[in-house]
Amino acid sequence: MAIGAVTLAGLFLFGMAVYRDINLSFYTDLPDVYRMLMAIPEGADVAGLAYGAIYASYGGLTLAGLAVAMGAASIAGEERRGTIGLLLANPKSRSNILIAKTASMVFLTALGALFLWGAGLVAPVILDVSIAGMHVGALVFHMLFISLFFGFMALAIGASTGSAGLAAGATAGTMFVSVVAASLFPVVEGYENAAKAFPWYYFNGSQPLTNGVDWGHIGMLSAGIVLFAGIAMVGLNRRDLKGQTVGVTLVDRLRGNARTRRLADRLAGSTRVSRMWIKIASERQGLLFITASLMFFVMGVMMGPMFALIDDSLVAMMDQFPEALLALFGGGDMSTPEGWYQIETFGMMAPIAVIVVTVAVGAGAVAGDEERGAIGLLLANPIKRSTIVLQTVTAMTLYGAAVGSATFAGVAIGSLLGGLGMNIGAIAATSLLVTLVGMVFGAAALALGAATGRLKVAVFGSVGIALVLYVLNAFLPFSDALSGYVRWSPFYYYLGSDPLVNGMHWGHGAVLAGITVGLVTLAVVLFDRRDLRQTG
Amino acid sequence: MTERPAIQTRGLTKHYGDVHALVDLDLEIGPGEIFGFLGPNGSGKTTMIRTILDEIRPTAGSARILGMDSHKQSVEIRRFIGYVPGDLAMYPNLTGRDTLTYFSNLRGGVDWSYVDELADRLDADLGKKIGDLSSGNRQKVGVIQAFMNKPELLIMDEPSSGLDPLVQREFQAMMREVAAEGRSVFLSSHTLSEVQRVAGRVGIIRHGHLIAVEAVSSLRSKAIRKVDLYFDEPVEGAVFEHLPGVSGVAVENHRVSLSFTGRMETLLGVIAGRYHLVDITTQEADLEEIFLTFYRDEDVTV
Repeated sequence: MAIGAVTLAGLFLFGMAVYRDINLSFYTDLPDVYRMLMAIPEGADVAGLAYGAIYASYGGLTLAGLAVAMGAASIAGEERRGTIGLLLANPKSRSNILIAKTASMVFLTALGALFLWGAGLVAPVILDVSIAGMHVGALVFHMLFISLFFGFMALAIGASTGSAGLAAGATAGTMFVSVVAASLFPVVEGYENAAKAFPWYYFNGSQPLTNGVDWGHIGMLSAGIVLFAGIAMVGLNRRDLKGQTVGVTLVDRLRGNARTRRLADRLAGSTRVSRMWIKIASERQGLLFITASLMFFVMGVMMGPMFALIDDSLVAMMDQFPEALLALFGGGDMSTPEGWYQIETFGMMAPIAVIVVTVAVGAGAVAGDEERGAIGLLLANPIKRSTIVLQTVTAMTLYGAAVGSATFAGVAIGSLLGGLGMNIGAIAATSLLVTLVGMVFGAAALALGAATGRLKVAVFGSVGIALVLYVLNAFLPFSDALSGYVRWSPFYYYLGSDPLVNGMHWGHGAVLAGITVGLVTLAVVLFDRRDLRQTG
Repeated sequence: MTERPAIQTRGLTKHYGDVHALVDLDLEIGPGEIFGFLGPNGSGKTTMIRTILDEIRPTAGSARILGMDSHKQSVEIRRFIGYVPGDLAMYPNLTGRDTLTYFSNLRGGVDWSYVDELADRLDADLGKKIGDLSSGNRQKVGVIQAFMNKPELLIMDEPSSGLDPLVQREFQAMMREVAAEGRSVFLSSHTLSEVQRVAGRVGIIRHGHLIAVEAVSSLRSKAIRKVDLYFDEPVEGAVFEHLPGVSGVAVENHRVSLSFTGRMETLLGVIAGRYHLVDITTQEADLEEIFLTFYRDEDVTV
């Protein structure tokens, strides 16, 4: 929670500083509907833009995401770890424990909101930006309630089922759908009111930054919170507690059935453990499958026909969007298919997707195994430490390439379905470059994990570095004095050459590959020199 | 195999900052030996094992395993050893058989009939996922994993935790068979009862210092025993009071109770020809007592 809040506050400060230095005259040109979509109040200035872009979008998602993580972990997490039995051995009822766990979730979420509120008030003072007429407190108050809403939802599912994965997954999915629906419906004519069916609408639908707290909306969210709390209480008290368990996958079920056992055994058993990299790769197949499918269907195939369907006037209006805003999504000319795909798919989603899988593999296979204490047994076999690093790189490359290929295939098919006539070679080039940029941060996670043996350092370190470098790449070009420094961000070597239009830039590809090789070498050296951690 | 020592350490030392986890450890373990490594929790047993396995690097000193340098030749060494770590963690989503297949693939093959034999002897279920096994059943998979390659040297850190008494007995038999084949076992433990059943020699470690290395038999002869002697007529207690190693003599009609340290023949020699001994019971001293005695005597300051 602390890391999340501090990162957000830092991002906010940075965003506000950047917005302060760029020309804001384009706001007068923005159509109302887009201002609303971006959560920017009318007549917005530096502060409004910063609050809108950072707090109302990332802020809400982050705080709510953290609340969901806590909610899912509070009861179901203890069951998965097998610690709930110990907890309930104390003279406390299940209800007592649920209340205590809930209280700590509410407290930490409120603390995070309070911190963001403080940062939201201090940053403008530091930067000498006026926030007159803005209800920062109201925005953060709404943020707190939407976060608690989803936190309690995760708690209710977790407490009722005992499955932390289900609680986190179902809630995050609902939240994602809700965010998209709440931002899209208001701009679709005739469906403006449909947004009200989705909780996210009650976060920013009333524009609390401009209009103050909307108690009706807060009331709606509170009703949801009370409902979920009730479900959690009843659900937890009625069911059998689970012992420490591991998930049952589809292959496990196939293995249990006599008819399919032979095939499943081969898939799940002998093949899976035949080589180290295959085993590493097999461990996160669920994540890979979801990420690759999302990139293929939603970000690839669907976006093509959508471009063909959207109104020309919409495209014309999109054109008026300030470059600075579009830059955050990768930039691009919305009126061309390439620009459309760059903003929708390649700008932000594709690098996120690849980085998610490469970091998961890079951090998990070394630091994750070490943290679980499983690496000691592995290294009792006649293999070098460097072998573990290199086999991890193999699995990571496979993952990155799979997501890159899914993106390529999706966009290529989307272009075909929408009749956009994009250059296949250029799509392939961009997909290759996004894979390479993902490898850079996967290798960074691997190196951090190899150097420290700590999963958190590996994951948050590499993701944090990626976030900072991404934002730098998006904003530095707007400053004449600083634009040269953009070359220090790996993301520059991804879209800097406009590969979706110009095709492959082998020099940039080589830079990304070079950084990856450098980080992997570093990982090998650091891992080899270090004492392994003793855990457990 | 040659007669090179299974484990040989010279001044092996490991410091974590100011904490001296292992201090100047000199130890030699020969082929075909079962060596018990005893010490309470946190005494440095695991640090010693992790150091010789190259998981962590010594601050000073060196170790040779099967004649090879523990750091420079660590990969080669691991071809010939089996290892059961203290906190056994495996992959929860793999079954026991998958886990063993994985490790055997990393080593380049294993004799599966031997694995099945081991699984049978330990009554291990290899079909279940590791994450669904109880800790004792998980431990069995760890033990099979260490034994399955018929290693020259078995290094086991508190391997019998969670195993039930029947399985422990089978496990001890397996260790003896390993030793009988000229292979070696390094067995760390904090409970003496398991070590005294199998080990030939015992090293005792405390606060990172190796306090003593002794044969189990000589340790046992140092022990204090409670002896009850039953005679067919009342006897005088004074006869026993002045014998070396005897103390606390109590006479109750036909029975004499006393505490005794030393070799039993000394005591029996006095009785023979003088009295008619009907029965004798001795309560075998627990090595625990000796263990504690050692600690009281050798209060090592750190």
